[in-house]
Amino acid sequence: MAKKVLLVDDSTTTLMMEEMILKQRTNYECVTAKDGLDAISRAVVEAPDLVLMDVVMPRMNGFEACKRMRTESSLSKTPIILVTTRGEEEYVEAGFQSGCNDYITKPINGFELVTLLQSYLGE
Amino acid sequence: MSTMSDLPAKHERKTSVQTLGDQAKVYAARMRLQNAIDQADALDAIREIAGNLIGTEEVAVFKIDKKRSELWLYWSFGIDPNKHSVLEVRREPKLKQVLNGKPVFRLKLSGESLLSTDDPVNALIPVLADGYPCAVIVLFRLFSHKAGIEPVDREICEVLSNCAGRAVEPCHSR
Repeated sequence: MAKKVLLVDDSTTTLMMEEMILKQRTNYECVTAKDGLDAISRAVVEAPDLVLMDVVMPRMNGFEACKRMRTESSLSKTPIILVTTRGEEEYVEAGFQSGCNDYITKPINGFELVTLLQSYLGE
Repeated sequence: MSTMSDLPAKHERKTSVQTLGDQAKVYAARMRLQNAIDQADALDAIREIAGNLIGTEEVAVFKIDKKRSELWLYWSFGIDPNKHSVLEVRREPKLKQVLNGKPVFRLKLSGESLLSTDDPVNALIPVLADGYPCAVIVLFRLFSHKAGIEPVDREICEVLSNCAGRAVEPCHSR
């Protein structure tokens, strides 16, 4: 069965790009959400194998959504990768404290994205 | 375990995925701009493309005046608008090339500034309407982890040049 990835971003441009890369280069099934709140409800219903989530979003940011997901028993072990605009240490540290497994910086590099997701989900 | 003989295949795969990633960025930028529902959405598309695909959260759009001697700040994100309200063409030599429809990019590792401002400027992109520039998009400081404008960024800027006209409608009459 295909692995399922939940892509979370308020930018339709980013979602389109991420979906295009993953659909062309992997067998993963992609589902999307447009902010942190939406992501939590989608994740509970869809039970994704991995969540790739932006940090800066309206309604609920990625850090908060990540923390909340960790309190859901069905999502407590799901790999969460945060997409940040900043690679500074303290910003990354805040991400790990929220419970994420990894992070990737914007602008997303296609090869890095595929390689990182495959390291969690396999090919 | 990988062997030396795997290396060319790995390199080819990396290049292939990288090319696809770049194509996806250019495609997403074009689709986002072409599907913008109105002027405000088109301006938001410019912000999204700059931040998510190129790597800057400091961007401005200047409209070109009828005499083509000045550019007036029309919209901006992440910069102090009071510092950049107007650009005089006679004081900004790089703008002449842009007003001829050609983008200008700051070279990687170059200390050169494209405009006479303290803020680093990485790209000047003409916005074309009916083949003529009606505005200029200025990309200021890039994200700290980004070394400079890459070839794919230039392709995305070409999309901005050709598809962002709606963001500055109505263009001045020529």
